[in-house]
Amino acid sequence: MGEYLTSILLLIAIWSIMAVSLNLLYGYTGQLSLGHSAFLGIGAYALGLIAVKLQVGFWPAFFAATAISGFFGFLIGIPALKLRGPYFVLVTLGFAAIVGVIVLAWVDFTGGANGLAGMPRPNPIPLPWGGKLRFDSLLSMYYFILFFLIVIVMICHRLVHSLVGRTFIAISHDENLAESLGINTMQKKLISFTISATFSGVAGALYASYNVVISPDLAHFARGMDVLACLIVGGAGTMAGPIVGTFVMMAIPEALQIVPYLKTLINGIILLLFIIFLPAGIAGGFKAFFYRWGHAWKSGKGRNGIA
Amino acid sequence: MALLEVSDLSKAFGGLMAVSGLTFSIEQGQLVSIIGPNGAGKTTLFNLLTGIYRPTAGKIVFDGDDITGCKPYHSAGHGIGRTFQRTTVFRGETVLDNVIIGQSVHMKTGVWAAIVRTRGARREEEKVKEKARSVLEFVGLADMEQRLAGNLTEEAQKRLSIAMVLAAGPKLLLLDEPTGGVNLEEIGGLIELVKKIQQSGITVCLIEHKMRMVMSMSDHIIVLNYGTNIAEGTPAEVASNKEVIKAYLGARRVA
Repeated sequence: MGEYLTSILLLIAIWSIMAVSLNLLYGYTGQLSLGHSAFLGIGAYALGLIAVKLQVGFWPAFFAATAISGFFGFLIGIPALKLRGPYFVLVTLGFAAIVGVIVLAWVDFTGGANGLAGMPRPNPIPLPWGGKLRFDSLLSMYYFILFFLIVIVMICHRLVHSLVGRTFIAISHDENLAESLGINTMQKKLISFTISATFSGVAGALYASYNVVISPDLAHFARGMDVLACLIVGGAGTMAGPIVGTFVMMAIPEALQIVPYLKTLINGIILLLFIIFLPAGIAGGFKAFFYRWGHAWKSGKGRNGIA
Repeated sequence: MALLEVSDLSKAFGGLMAVSGLTFSIEQGQLVSIIGPNGAGKTTLFNLLTGIYRPTAGKIVFDGDDITGCKPYHSAGHGIGRTFQRTTVFRGETVLDNVIIGQSVHMKTGVWAAIVRTRGARREEEKVKEKARSVLEFVGLADMEQRLAGNLTEEAQKRLSIAMVLAAGPKLLLLDEPTGGVNLEEIGGLIELVKKIQQSGITVCLIEHKMRMVMSMSDHIIVLNYGTNIAEGTPAEVASNKEVIKAYLGARRVA
């Protein structure tokens, strides 16, 4: 695998983590956040600041950065999740805008427009049978990030298919009905939001470690929109959706060698076409297709559901 | 002691008193109907009992606990189950999943247990599924558990919405027009279901407009008009009450 291809796949893996984390909140809990760039930024800057200024090494900084993102998710979630629908969306967007401005304007702390440099790569992990797992090469970094993507997808999969996940899904369908059935909707939404923010922090910290340099652009609220576009194209509320969508939205412009400023335009057009013609996204469309197909196949047999 | 005791309950929306000074009680095991003209405050009363609205004044005591002004999920936790006038089910989920979600009050699986899939979490899932199947059997939807709820007929959705609430094992079941929007031929089946629920030991309180049904099945009737109860008693008592006739047929008929 060439360096170029590896770096593209690596970025796809990082943005997939973002899309998977937003999917838990939006796809499965029904709470649309436009502010996930904030948690991405917090994760990245927290890793950078802790590792560079405190000189604590990668691992403590990584776990701290992840925890800090999750904690911010929890703090913002308490007031924001009291609101519903567009009001919630606006608060998340406002939060993202504030974080974006702070990162840019607090020059002494974050380095301002110059960004922050010198992020550490993960320290080698000693293996039980001798030798060490090193992360100096691009390929090893790719597998390192892929590992986190797989773990996060597995966690989301288990969560969504558990009884806890069913309460999330119930809230996404009808919050009032969920509450009248005895679900503490505020608590469940807060759990979902905090987990989602934590995973976004993981993506941010991984990005910072991979890229060595981070700039305020990472915390710009447009990044949150990009992630949402990937999620919608792939299919919110499906397991494969966020990854498929991120792959499509990042691989197509790359394969066509489109100049950067046209990328945004092309992505916008793709998103628009999906919203009009396939609002369930690629994975959602597949699911509906196979559901209908299976239904026709087994019609009359009583069983036509999907687990 | 009565299962539900409501005293001097009021709810104002701005200057409008939707419910004012309402006092009544529901005895354990009874089937109570709440009737009254449109806008009499029947659904508002249900919303007050289930915590959707906070009362402006008054007190609600359920099973010995003061539940005045508690949150909807709390009232479900206390054992008050409620269905809505507009049939509400999770349309995109299977019938079985709907009834599983109905048991949320009792679910103990935490996030960590769900991710690790502990033995406790798996056992609870099995238990919840089993319970859901037995409730579906009870309401007569056993052969539809894998259907999407949104694809069911209106009557089956009514049954499902009742099953979702029954799954939590309520002490008091509030049904807001359980036969509303259902074909005439199918009403009989739903009435049978409501009777079966009462016979299983659950206290039932329902809002209904179909007088023949109310008169034949209720132990006790509460008549609301302009947010206050103008009469209360057995079907026979209520039917001969002057105030009730006035509210339904107009003052001149009585005179």
